Amino acid sequence: MSVTSPDRTGAKAAAPARRLRYRLRIAASEPTTLIGLLMAALFAYLIVVPIVSLLFDAVQVQLGDQRRTGAEVGSFTWYYLERTFGSRVAHHLFWGPLVNTLTVALGAIVLAMAVGGTPARLLARTDMFGRRWFATALIVPYMLPAWTFALAWTTLFKNRTVGGQAGWLETLGFAPPDWLAYGRVPVTIILALHYAPFVILLFGNALRRFDSQLEDSARILGAGRLTVMRQVVLPLMRPALMSAMVLIFAKCLGEFGVPYVLGLPVAFDTLATSLYQNIASRQSGVAAVLAGAIMLIGVITLTIDAWLMREARRFVTVGSKGSMDRLSPLGGWRWGATGFAALMFALSVGLPLLTLALSTVMKVPGRFALDNFTLDYWIGTGLNTVALQTGILLSPDLWNAAWNSLRIVGIASLTSGLLGLLVGYVVVRTPFRPLGTFLRQVTFLPYLVPGIAFATAYLSLFAVPRGPIPALYGTWVILMLALIADQMPYASRAGIAAMTQLGKDPEEAAQVAGAGWLRRMVSIVIPIQKGALTTGVLLPFISGIKGLSLFVVLAVPSTDVLTTFSLRLVDYHYTQAANAVVLIIAALAYFGALLGQKLTRSNLAEGLGG
Amino acid sequence: MPRINLMGVRKSYGGGGPNAVEALDLEIADGEFMCLLGPSGCGKTTTLRMIAGLEHLSDGEIRVGARVVDSVGEGVFVPPEKRQMGLVFQSYALWPHLTIERNTDFGLRLRNVPRAEREARVTRVMKTLGIEAYRDRYPSQLSGGQQQRVALARMLAVNPEVLLLDEPLSNLDAALRLEMRAELKRLHREFGTTIVFVTHDQWEAMTLATTIAVMSQGRLQQVGSPNEIYDRPANRFVAQFVGNPPINMIDLAAGTPLAVSARRFLGERSPDAGAVGLRPEAIRLGGEAGDFAGPAEVTGVLPTGGSWIVELESDGAKLFLTTHQPPEVGPGERVRFAVRPEALHVFDRDGSRSAVADAAFAHGRMN
Ligand SMILES: Nc1ncnc2c1ncn2[C@@H]1O[C@H](COP(=O)(O)OP(=O)(O)O)[C@@H](O)[C@H]1O
Ligand SMILES: [Mg+2]
Repeated sequence: MSVTSPDRTGAKAAAPARRLRYRLRIAASEPTTLIGLLMAALFAYLIVVPIVSLLFDAVQVQLGDQRRTGAEVGSFTWYYLERTFGSRVAHHLFWGPLVNTLTVALGAIVLAMAVGGTPARLLARTDMFGRRWFATALIVPYMLPAWTFALAWTTLFKNRTVGGQAGWLETLGFAPPDWLAYGRVPVTIILALHYAPFVILLFGNALRRFDSQLEDSARILGAGRLTVMRQVVLPLMRPALMSAMVLIFAKCLGEFGVPYVLGLPVAFDTLATSLYQNIASRQSGVAAVLAGAIMLIGVITLTIDAWLMREARRFVTVGSKGSMDRLSPLGGWRWGATGFAALMFALSVGLPLLTLALSTVMKVPGRFALDNFTLDYWIGTGLNTVALQTGILLSPDLWNAAWNSLRIVGIASLTSGLLGLLVGYVVVRTPFRPLGTFLRQVTFLPYLVPGIAFATAYLSLFAVPRGPIPALYGTWVILMLALIADQMPYASRAGIAAMTQLGKDPEEAAQVAGAGWLRRMVSIVIPIQKGALTTGVLLPFISGIKGLSLFVVLAVPSTDVLTTFSLRLVDYHYTQAANAVVLIIAALAYFGALLGQKLTRSNLAEGLGG
Repeated sequence: MPRINLMGVRKSYGGGGPNAVEALDLEIADGEFMCLLGPSGCGKTTTLRMIAGLEHLSDGEIRVGARVVDSVGEGVFVPPEKRQMGLVFQSYALWPHLTIERNTDFGLRLRNVPRAEREARVTRVMKTLGIEAYRDRYPSQLSGGQQQRVALARMLAVNPEVLLLDEPLSNLDAALRLEMRAELKRLHREFGTTIVFVTHDQWEAMTLATTIAVMSQGRLQQVGSPNEIYDRPANRFVAQFVGNPPINMIDLAAGTPLAVSARRFLGERSPDAGAVGLRPEAIRLGGEAGDFAGPAEVTGVLPTGGSWIVELESDGAKLFLTTHQPPEVGPGERVRFAVRPEALHVFDRDGSRSAVADAAFAHGRMN
């Protein structure tokens, strides 16, 4: 193709081979594209390959199953699919847990809406006392690990169905029935309390942006309060509500700790716990099928969410300025509203934490006599228990687990934060667009896969040596890699946003001034992005510290982190010690979140995705 | 010896759109103050960024001095950091985390200039630009005009042989713009730097440039001194883009009485003519024998402070004339307009300037 106009002298159009040389020269002049390609390979290996490997496991004969399937290891089989979905045990493996998962998730959604809707409205639109304080206080349940509440619940409601120490209510003379102590009811309630902050945040934000003139106009036209709510507010709020619901559903789907602690005693299984049990009993084929099913439901859910978000963009009228911050006066109800919020805080944060805290200093649960209190479980020595000879703070196991937690989660968060920024950099800077697109999409992939399914995928890939890579199962490396991959959606989203906002100009200015790539990174890009990087490291760190589902699949006793350690203590019925560890985790997560809020001066809500 | 040489440069951003820059041949001489002038979206920034090495060519070659910095044909590419140029961005692109002083001495530090010399040079540049008082402030604490000076100072500190400026004045208010224009001209004299200056503002180009390159839709339209561009526009686009109020263009194909009379006036002297342009200041009331003239009615008189714009209507066609004498006519009056034949800009039907007409009419143009 000739591009020179005939009336001008100029270079002739270059031949394709020459043109390629020019492009290569450009690519070689700075490492952006090379780094991008390396990262693409890395993420393909850390994210895509495990998932593919998992899906293969679902249809290939696994080690030890040769006799049952009548085929060689690695050959194609329908056995696991058939066993999971169509056999006599299918109900036990999949359908029952599926129904439980769905009912618990739906119940939690409805309850969270009911619990969170009122405070959302109060916080966003009224002159209730202490609005600012409650705006933070009421999202605390989300900063704490969900199974903190599960442990508090068992501490209170436990009955003789399982061994170990008695629950408080039983000690006080009232033995709770099984339906109240374990299974569907408590799991639903706890998940609802844990995710109610979602409703408060998402619904509250939408309400805040909602133009109250819309309401006023309807009132002036003669509509009553209720009619306005039904015909104006709710329809406009629907996208935000739906989005909150879908997110809660997606979270519940992968939730492991709560149903594990509260479901096990009455054999109440969700998909996550069923998956865990299959892994524990080395049914890797069925586990792969279950993980695939969870993944599929996750993908469907988040596709619906993406679609809802697109729909929501049509309501652009929401958010005209001027009337945004107008609060409706509550008059005499001000104290009532404040009391309501306080009660909610007491029930969702105060009571559980207090219960846990007290339980760690009482010998017999629920007996409030002075001689029953002790600090032995924290700092005692010479205790007569098999596994723990000392109080938890003196136990090397705790410090070992804490060190593992900090080390693994710390390195993983730092790595994923830096990788996220690099992804952002490459996406914004590479002249080779498909590379940017691939990086953006591949790092988003783990978002669609609940942690426990993702961990299963890692198990599937790294349980045995593959090529130059030794078997990583049982080492802390696998935990770290899985955690990095699991955090990439948040890290890369933050990195891309930060780099897009920064734009190319500051870096190009340095480039023209004579700075090479490394120099630009060190003196310009990273210093400017310090804040974004801090957030990008801290938020994954918090969610990693309190994370359980990823570790429970991949950790072994020698690589125990705080969460798996406390779960092990639960299994041993060392209630006091388990609760103490959970309190430590909760404190770490909470203060980490506060620190994050201080450092970034932003609302955590946006970033706390994990 | 040209300082910068663009040869057959083409740039396509892909995605099936038209080329952002098309078959561009341009020489920028040593010490020149070259303005790239054209409407928004015509490819000025793209051209500038290609010279800086920030944008890659789809075809062609760029040389700076004897050195090839870009050549698609030869597979040569010199990265921006090795081109030793200065570039001032439209957005200023100051580094928000560095003080004004550190912004300014960044390039000198990179070049490992000894501390004493570094400080001396930075101080001198800051003084020249009047930003010395803000040494220890951060960019966000400065006004737009001050930031703009820092952006300039940052580049001048390393004393580049080529300074590229992308609409550096467009974010400033009118008074500051005037001041900075004078300052740029002074800097050009003082530092002797080759400057390539991008603007869509013809006044800026006229007042600053030693040479103007007019672009439209990715193509170079004309290169010349400001006077050449104004007095001998190479085509209809340049004639219409440069000049305020704009040139009165009579489209001969329009068939209006004015077009018919213009056609008749040109007669055999320019058979291919497609349009005739009359600069507003070339139109007079009255006139003499041999002029292109016609009847008109005054429809408005607009004083612009020191000069006047008179709005005429001739057989339905609007004509603007400018004058520095107070016009002695008022709206509604019938007058006669006239233009000296050598002041006519005749364009052929393909839009280019008619050489035949230029030769046929006397050369003693009005200034
Ligand atoms: N990064 C880009 N990607 C795609 N198209 C671009 C890009 N930058 C500029 N263009 C297009 O190239 C053309 C020339 O742009 P530009 O050089 O910025 O014009 P100017 O500076 O004269 O206003 C425009 O049509 C613009 O839309
Ligand atoms: Mg531009």
